[in-house]
Amino acid sequence: MAEAMAESYNRDSEPTTRTLLRRVLDTADTRTPRRRRSARVRRLSSPTKMNVRRRSHRARSIGRLAHVHTSGNLEEQTPRTLLKNILLTAPESSVMMPESVVKPVPTPQVVQSSRRESSRGSLELQLPELEPPTTLALGLLAPGRRKQRQRLSVFQQGMDQGLPLSQEPRGNGSASSLTSSLNLTFATPLQPQSVQRPGLARRPPTRRAVDVGAFLQDLRDTSLALASPGDSLRTPVATLPTDTVLEDTQPFSQPLIGRSPSVYHSLPCLSHTEAEDAERAVSHRIQSSGPRLQNHNPGKPTQLLAGKAKKVDALAVSFPNNSSAVSGEDGVEPLQDGVGEEAEERMEESLSVSKVMATTGTQGSVRMEKSKGHREMTEAAEAKEPEGSSGASPELASSTTEFLQARQPQFLEPAPPPSTAVLSSEPLEPLSTRLPPRARTPGPRARTPGPRPRQDPHKTGLSHYVKLFSFYAKMPMEKAALEMVEKCLFYPNPFGSLDKYFQHLCDDLEVFAAHAGRKTVRPEDLELLMRRQGLVNDQVSLHVLVERHLPLEYRQLLIPCAFSGNSVFPAQ
Amino acid sequence: MAFSTTVSQRKHIKRKAPRGFLKHVFKRQKPHLRLETSGDLLVHLNCLLFVRRLAEESRMNAFESKCGVIKKEHVQAAAKLFFSPTQPELRGMKENC
Repeated sequence: MAEAMAESYNRDSEPTTRTLLRRVLDTADTRTPRRRRSARVRRLSSPTKMNVRRRSHRARSIGRLAHVHTSGNLEEQTPRTLLKNILLTAPESSVMMPESVVKPVPTPQVVQSSRRESSRGSLELQLPELEPPTTLALGLLAPGRRKQRQRLSVFQQGMDQGLPLSQEPRGNGSASSLTSSLNLTFATPLQPQSVQRPGLARRPPTRRAVDVGAFLQDLRDTSLALASPGDSLRTPVATLPTDTVLEDTQPFSQPLIGRSPSVYHSLPCLSHTEAEDAERAVSHRIQSSGPRLQNHNPGKPTQLLAGKAKKVDALAVSFPNNSSAVSGEDGVEPLQDGVGEEAEERMEESLSVSKVMATTGTQGSVRMEKSKGHREMTEAAEAKEPEGSSGASPELASSTTEFLQARQPQFLEPAPPPSTAVLSSEPLEPLSTRLPPRARTPGPRARTPGPRPRQDPHKTGLSHYVKLFSFYAKMPMEKAALEMVEKCLFYPNPFGSLDKYFQHLCDDLEVFAAHAGRKTVRPEDLELLMRRQGLVNDQVSLHVLVERHLPLEYRQLLIPCAFSGNSVFPAQ
Repeated sequence: MAFSTTVSQRKHIKRKAPRGFLKHVFKRQKPHLRLETSGDLLVHLNCLLFVRRLAEESRMNAFESKCGVIKKEHVQAAAKLFFSPTQPELRGMKENC
């Protein structure tokens, strides 16, 4: 070991991390229980002490400490732990602690700082164990060459400034010098650079003024374009995002969850106008202090809207911050979709309520609907409600409607749904962008009369499959051929008495369910059907087909998967 | 089977299942029966596979008749294969799988 020590001393000329580590290893090796401790320690501690004493006043105390601690804690130290500590505290660059920096540091700080650093250095190990290795490290580093003295002093200052922020405030800034000497990796390593080279500093992301209106309009356009083709997806499945994101993300999944905190964080950074709008919405709600119920209902949608607007615009503000614009859009869309869906349902309830209230002619709902319908359905609004009811409140709420309008300019274009109650449609329209394309196919909704809505979801559902046919065919097709496909799918075969696909399907499923003594068709029946069709066999299982052809969200619904907490979804 | 997640066509194919439509159809056909929650997704899967098979079959028919366009007759012929007695269909399907 002596020659190793000599070696290490000879290597003083190039004190890199590697040499340091080697030194430490050499010294540390001697401390393992396997070796003869007493002899080694004595031999080593003295050279260590010598080494330290040679360099600096501080190092001496370190050596002393090291000596004390090494003799005391021989059992707890292993080369592994030492190495770990060294690695943790090792400098990223090969910058050594110059004497000029070491010397000013007073001795009592060493213990304190070493303790602090040790506690920071390796959180897993206990405190007393860390002192010797760190002091060892110090002792080894101290005799090192003073490279880049200037840089370090500057760095030290930077660390002094930066450490109180980044580290737990367990000590004072006095220890920062120590940590700076060792270039702790816990502090942000870029900080020292920023002090010397301001050009490399991490600037706070410049927030360009996002044209909120244009952005929201674009959002609306894309969400409209991707909206479902008019079939009534009002089930909870409707919370699924649009198709482009169906395979990529989940609705309200982690990316979005990760984003929503940032949304809420950026809420305080919202522009002043948005805060004003929120205030106005609040005041508007307060103002419409009619019956509590009625106040509640307009309040809810307004709140929803305001919240939605906030979220949207917060996302818009944080848009430049997000590295991926696509994910931002995707996140906003499902958010809007989801919120819009809930808002839809709530608006449905409020619809009926507001209808009742409208007959009584209370001010709040009037204001509410008037404000909402003010921009979009001007003719309807004027026809319906007394315009002179409140001149002030439309202005108040107009700010919210400006918002809404900026987001949903398309409402002006689609014709008002053929509902008798335009009043009811007014609060409905601004809320849901998906409603106008789907308002024509309300199907289950009783308020829209006529056979047209009832046929539409049917047609659109069928056409969905017809489109898929043309997609799979990859060839141009005649219109007649497409009609033929439609016939194949649904309508009875004109050639003979054969039923067509869906009817076949339903019959088979009925038979299978009855065979199992059930009145509910379950997935097992479906699997049996596919097995009979030859789609599922011993080589290809149903799950494989599900994975191949269905988007991710459906796969999660169909294939049971184990989650944390000993739970399986979907439950079996 | 090559399965591409990206749509290279100009047409935007929606991958959502028209669940309402499926439920509606089933209810119409068999009002005394009930369909389970995820059952309609499997029905959708079945439809997808059916449509895919139909399309491939009609495409092959069109190739055979050296047409660049799928015509009504091709589709009809393909459909006959599916809705006729199942033996030839099974054979065809096993090839596809």
